Amino acid sequence: MTIVAQSSPNQATENESAPARQRAASKRWTRLVRPALGLVLPVALALAWEFIVRMGWASGRLAPPPSVIFATFVELARSGDLQHHTLVTLARVAAGFGIGVAVATVLGAAAGYSPLVRRLLDPSLQALRAIPSIAWVPLFILWLGIFEASKVTLIAVGVFFPVYLGLMGAIQSVDRKLVEVGRAFRLSDVAMVRRILLPAVLPAYVISLRSGLGLGWMFVVAAELMGASEGLGYLLIDGQQLGKPAEIVAAIVAFAIVGKSTDWLIALTAAPFLRWEDVVRQD
Amino acid sequence: MLVLDRVSKTYPNGVHALGGVSLEVDLGEIVAVIGGSGCGKSTLLRAISGLDPASEGAVVLDGERIVAPHEKIGIIFQEPRLLPWLKVADNVGFGLGDRPRSERSQRVATALKRVGLVDKAAMWPRELSGGQAQRVAIARALVPRPQLLLLDEPFSALDAFTRTDLQDHLLDLWADAKPTLMLVTHDVDEAIVLADRIMVMRPQPGRIFDEIAVDLPRPRDRQSAAFDFVKRRVLAALDRSLDRAVTGVEGETKADAGAALWW
Repeated sequence: MTIVAQSSPNQATENESAPARQRAASKRWTRLVRPALGLVLPVALALAWEFIVRMGWASGRLAPPPSVIFATFVELARSGDLQHHTLVTLARVAAGFGIGVAVATVLGAAAGYSPLVRRLLDPSLQALRAIPSIAWVPLFILWLGIFEASKVTLIAVGVFFPVYLGLMGAIQSVDRKLVEVGRAFRLSDVAMVRRILLPAVLPAYVISLRSGLGLGWMFVVAAELMGASEGLGYLLIDGQQLGKPAEIVAAIVAFAIVGKSTDWLIALTAAPFLRWEDVVRQD
Repeated sequence: MLVLDRVSKTYPNGVHALGGVSLEVDLGEIVAVIGGSGCGKSTLLRAISGLDPASEGAVVLDGERIVAPHEKIGIIFQEPRLLPWLKVADNVGFGLGDRPRSERSQRVATALKRVGLVDKAAMWPRELSGGQAQRVAIARALVPRPQLLLLDEPFSALDAFTRTDLQDHLLDLWADAKPTLMLVTHDVDEAIVLADRIMVMRPQPGRIFDEIAVDLPRPRDRQSAAFDFVKRRVLAALDRSLDRAVTGVEGETKADAGAALWW
């Protein structure tokens, strides 16, 4: 091991500032450039496609270039159609999400905490889970009609399973040592769930909520494709039937934006409640 | 105050962990339980605490049979087991959930001052060192003012310096309200520093093999000859409990180097 003698204070600070400057530079790289790396591929592809269509190498009729899609988007927004359909879809997702999460939380918590409830409920729920989502559509339409009820129910079913499974699994995985602390302090069953189990499962619960929300967006498409007169899913069908692929893609882009935003909303809302976590965070 | 009457514990898999342990502990006494690996000392403590009740025999505290965790009994584990989603102050006040907030915050503040962690009150458990976390765990256990405090190898996960530090600290805290302490440890020095009596257990099945009184005045000097004398007695008892060659107490033939490695 070499020992570096520092002969003067100036020399000491100079030796220190070089690595410090490097660290600051690499921090800038991390903060600005790293997230932007995710955009490189889609932007490059979009620009390439735009170029190809402009050069006349492809007709761009069935696969419109970004400029046409953007123009369609702007037109829909200007006419107010985009906002209207987006809000309709958003309202359906919100309602389905709310109901699905409520039921899943109650059942998931009960099944996670009580072996008896789990043995009674879980086999039936697992069987239901195996049914493909689309298969529910005809049944719900017969039971609940072709308007909102059947759509919201379908979304709720989709949201239910990831949240139920996630919460039940998380409760069963709670560290036994922490549960013992609760037992040592003689917590009642309700207090045990409220003060130990639910906070302990919160990180996994939030993940299951985001997962459920993702499925909710998927199910709203299924619901709206099967007969809707409004909504982003309706725009998809409308674009198909009128031969307007740009409208379809615009609706897809709208789905992506709103879906991502709702997911980001959950993450943002949950973040202050998860500050205590002792984990390595990449974002 | 605490009476154990032929306490036995057999696990569902047939392991006979405790074979009839009987002892009595007075209020304010400090008893250390020490013994070779697998001698059932942790099992004994858990049976007393009510977390893992005995299969046979009775644990009686002030005339009341203990079959489940009791408000007069506090327990400190080998790991701090702080609730990671609660700040230090909320962890310390965890056992006072049913008390009014003003009383809770006042008792928590006092406890934090006693363990020297007032400046850490608003921190998360993940920000604490091992020794600090264990001090919070001790504060949490003491805040409800238990009459009997059980400690299951509380300092074994810490480094030697922190360990001796916390041993002295524990005596300090004990002097406040003088609860009965029952301490499981594999550190002989720790047992002698802290305890009035040391119970040596032997394994398979676990039972009390020997009892050694420590009549030294506190604070006890770990370097003194008297301390050393007690230590040799305890080590000899441990060796005998494991049927090993006995080291002479009065400095007779020295035992093999491995004789003192009883764990």
